[in-house]
Amino acid sequence: MNNRLRVLRAERGWSQGDLAERLEVSRQSVNAIETGRYDPSLPLAFRIAELFDLTIEGVFVSPSRKDIA
Amino acid sequence: MQRRNPAQRRYLLRFMPLMVSYALILIAVSGAQRHGDLAGATLGMMSVLPAIPLIGVMIVMGLYLREERDEFVRNRLVMAMLGGTGILLSATTVWGFLENNGVVGHPPTFLAFPFWCGAMGISQCAMALRDRMAGSAE
Repeated sequence: MNNRLRVLRAERGWSQGDLAERLEVSRQSVNAIETGRYDPSLPLAFRIAELFDLTIEGVFVSPSRKDIA
Repeated sequence: MQRRNPAQRRYLLRFMPLMVSYALILIAVSGAQRHGDLAGATLGMMSVLPAIPLIGVMIVMGLYLREERDEFVRNRLVMAMLGGTGILLSATTVWGFLENNGVVGHPPTFLAFPFWCGAMGISQCAMALRDRMAGSAE
């Protein structure tokens, strides 16, 4: 699933390791989500969005809307 | 190198004593078989003993899967286990037909679990390679 994680992380000057620590997941998890190789569960997606003070749609691009945009 | 999370540390703490006890039991049972004339129920019990720590390892793997809180790591492990199961079932199916036609002999079935672990490792390597080829740089 496409997302803005890399941009949001870069805006805050966080490395993947920093973000992983804040989310209490492994760095490889952050990498897999960021590169779209793994779609997080809803609870993890909420945790990510809340960390950036955004809605889930503010972080992740809906697969159904991707084609419309 | 990434630090191990609590679930991974617990897994290792449970896994290591089981493997040590497996090695000790195997040595003791082999020694007893060489020196003594075991028979009947004693022989049966001695034969089953080495399987106990290996069954323990399977339980420990299950516990780790349940306790791992990182969903991506858990997902990867499940996929590797599925891959390992697929490889094991494919290999034993082919072997079974070969054996049925007398091309090969009967394999020692206690090797199924070590083979499955090896096949799981191959699956993990294949996934890591796929990730690397897909480009997972920070």
